[in-house]
Amino acid sequence: MLTTLIRRELLDNLMTFRFAAAVLIMLLLVVATTTVLIKDYERRLASYDTAIKKHRQEMLEQTTYSAARLRIDRPPNPLSIFNVGLDKRLGNTLGVNHFFVPTLWDARKHGADNPFLNLFSSIDLVFIFQGILSLLALVFAYDTIAGEREHGTLRLVLTHPVRRGQVLFAKYISGMICLLIPLLMCILLVLIMLTTSASVFLSADDFLRIGGVVFTSFVYLSLFYLIGMLISAATHRTGTALMLAMFVWGFLVLVYPNMILTAIKTEPHPDTQISTYNRIKQIWEEFERDRLQYLANDPVPGEKWDFSLRGKGYTFRGLRHYPSALRYHDITGFHYKTLEAESEPQVPHLQNYHRFLGTQVTNTAERMWLVRKPALDALYTQPAKMEQMLLKFSPVGLYDAATEAWTGTDLNGLQDFFTAIQRYHQAVINYYLDKKIFESRLWFVGAENEIDWDLLPQFSFTRSDIGINAKRAFPDLCLLLMINLVLFVIIFLIFVRSEV
Amino acid sequence: MILHITKRELYDNLNSLRFALTTLLLLALMLTNAIGHLHEHPKRIQQYNEAVAESLDLLSSHADDSLYKLAQQGPGKLYKKPSPLHFCAEGGEHLMPNIIEGGSPYVYSTGIIGVWQLKYPDVNINLKRVGPDITKVDWAFIIAYVLSLIALLFTFDAISSDRESGTLRLMLANAVPRHTILIGKFLGALISVSIPFTLAALINLLMISTTSAVHLNIEAWGRLGIICFIALLYTCFFLALGLLVSARVQRSAVSLVILLLIWVTFVVFMPGPLASIASEFSSSMSADEKWARYSQRQEEIWDKYNYVAWSDEVDRKTLTAKRAFFTEKAEMIERLNQEYLTSQIAQVQHARSITHFSPAILLQHLLESFAGTGFERHSQFVENVERYARQYREFVVDIDRSDPESLHIIGVREGMTKRKVSPAAVPKFEDTLSLSKDFNTAAVDLLLLTLFVIVLLSGAYLAFVRVEV
Repeated sequence: MLTTLIRRELLDNLMTFRFAAAVLIMLLLVVATTTVLIKDYERRLASYDTAIKKHRQEMLEQTTYSAARLRIDRPPNPLSIFNVGLDKRLGNTLGVNHFFVPTLWDARKHGADNPFLNLFSSIDLVFIFQGILSLLALVFAYDTIAGEREHGTLRLVLTHPVRRGQVLFAKYISGMICLLIPLLMCILLVLIMLTTSASVFLSADDFLRIGGVVFTSFVYLSLFYLIGMLISAATHRTGTALMLAMFVWGFLVLVYPNMILTAIKTEPHPDTQISTYNRIKQIWEEFERDRLQYLANDPVPGEKWDFSLRGKGYTFRGLRHYPSALRYHDITGFHYKTLEAESEPQVPHLQNYHRFLGTQVTNTAERMWLVRKPALDALYTQPAKMEQMLLKFSPVGLYDAATEAWTGTDLNGLQDFFTAIQRYHQAVINYYLDKKIFESRLWFVGAENEIDWDLLPQFSFTRSDIGINAKRAFPDLCLLLMINLVLFVIIFLIFVRSEV
Repeated sequence: MILHITKRELYDNLNSLRFALTTLLLLALMLTNAIGHLHEHPKRIQQYNEAVAESLDLLSSHADDSLYKLAQQGPGKLYKKPSPLHFCAEGGEHLMPNIIEGGSPYVYSTGIIGVWQLKYPDVNINLKRVGPDITKVDWAFIIAYVLSLIALLFTFDAISSDRESGTLRLMLANAVPRHTILIGKFLGALISVSIPFTLAALINLLMISTTSAVHLNIEAWGRLGIICFIALLYTCFFLALGLLVSARVQRSAVSLVILLLIWVTFVVFMPGPLASIASEFSSSMSADEKWARYSQRQEEIWDKYNYVAWSDEVDRKTLTAKRAFFTEKAEMIERLNQEYLTSQIAQVQHARSITHFSPAILLQHLLESFAGTGFERHSQFVENVERYARQYREFVVDIDRSDPESLHIIGVREGMTKRKVSPAAVPKFEDTLSLSKDFNTAAVDLLLLTLFVIVLLSGAYLAFVRVEV
């Protein structure tokens, strides 16, 4: 009986104009955007490649360790075609130095693009699904029950010995099949385009992640279909149902996400930044005192930090402060190719000084990090999480968060990359300490190609495996599923008790 | 007769569910908008005033010092005045730099300092914000997205449902010409959409204008009037679209599906990919390229003049060479900055003109121009600053010329007048908005929108006249 019902509903739906229009427009939009997105990805990849080359060249040109320029570039994520998340927006190049622990908030953009282009909104496939699939789901669902009630066919169907639950279930299944067809067609088209394009490489895990995105889209679609059915079951006329459905859509998809973030401000306490910055400043001032004390106590007269070194090249020393990133440090760089003969006796003193300074700076950086980490969390991460949570009151927010987690373009996914940089930072410092680089002569004077930069630890990063993505997407996905279930139960109750 | 039909349509609409929902939705949006503006605008104004005062203090202290100091340090930081109509269109203001620096002379070594030049800061992308992207709820958003959708919801069944229920046939049985019915329906829908919008907009304006924090002058009210007119025109566009589809299609459900698909395509999805495609066509100077050029030209100038930079001679020849060195370098940097900015602006302009295919973007741009925010406003600000920079340079030259004892070598201490400059005489930068200029830039967009409306209305008329009842 159920199959007969499903077949009837399915045929009813498939033969309609709205189905044809839906398929056509979805395919058109998806093909157009995928082309644009692949182009965009290629451009980002190209600028990543040039940045890598440029930064490597810059590193090879340096002749001393204190002038080392280790820069890590962040490659674009190929899955950002599905959900761009933070992948495009945040900084993608970051210097690794011994005087601060690198974080996401220290990253910059490598300068290849026109920054004014950020005025235009960037889109992704999830954005399309989010808007159009939900709209289609409502358009398919608004008359499932109300329409039949109006025509009187519902009464006819119920004269047969079928349970109401079965009728409802048949309607749900057939509607979902109708909506799944365009969705799957789109996904297949996208996959074909991705696999045939020369620049995008997808691993087996990536296909599983895309599977996750598709599953989430399916659950999201079902949620809106159920909302449509609920409206349809609760109203008596199709006209009313349609109006309600459209306004619900407009509110959930269009209005709520924008309105809530304008209405509720999630700014952290303004004092957090100032007080933390002052503490960090204090830490470095203490460091400065210790440094001056060392210079005063050492056997060399005078307190010049460069020990009056003369030679071919230059030195610099300065304080750098970035209040918004809560960063403050002192940097010293020596760019000497050769030293003059009268400076040679100073070299051992300078080496002793830098043995002291190297450990002192890394320790101070470590202390700064202990203060900085919670403050950065309070300043940037927590408001962001709060905003995300506010958005999750609409299914759109849940869907966005879940797909972001699958594609690894959410905050956690990006933090993985920066955690890898932090590990690399530690590895470099350990290498410096192991090889006694702070106290070596090469710290401040070195001829061309005297340092083999390839001996330094190499940075490598692999995206977190699919299990972790799934774990991160799980809560939101569960919530979506739960809302689905609750909606279905409510519809069932309304439908069972309603008069035909 | 038109009046009669309009009245009937209006009564029908006023009693409907959609009217109530529309009123609620628009009220909620407009209230959010007003609250957000009242929260943020005073802060913006205060920041602007403080920054300008600081910059002016610095300028007068330079004037007190000497004319040379003015010629060397320049006018200082020049700020973009925040528009009181920020709530109408945010226009990516949070990305736009609100300052151009006329200063930062190159310091060659202690005591040897070049002359000032204009420095345009980059777009301030907040790389530190990790929260979700926010679209501001401004009038542009409310009108472009919400009001257009509402307009479609009011007209999708205007003709098809009458035909479905047979009332259309009844109506035409009377001696009513078809265009009267169409105009009546159009006016009825227009008025019933305008009522909730006007109500919400008035409450919004009431909240904004009664607080002392935001000051709206006569010109701002004029601009608001134009903005409301544009909103009406834009609503007409979607009403006409709705009537057109409704007249062509037999069933109202089908008509709605078609309209929604058109709406989604043109309003929601087109802008992003179109801008992306359009920016592919033209390219702009990249920051890396700018630096490459900078270091090359810098070396050229250095090679040409390095004999004079460290010289202590004060004879006319050395001073003139020094002047040439300083000004050439400053001009080189300024020109490079300008080239860089112009190439970026050109690329964005190109992309913007292509996105005009979407009526939502057309409206967005129109509202931006009249609210005095966004990209066009930024170009205007850049122009204002450049004009002021010329004026400032002329002022320095004029004052110097009035002193016969001076050697008239601008930019070198020994070559300039030692007379005092009164700080009040120094020209001050005042960022202004000109309505006529805004009107000029917006004229094309406005005409385009009007054209769209006329085309759609006549389309609707033709479709309705030829339709079989």
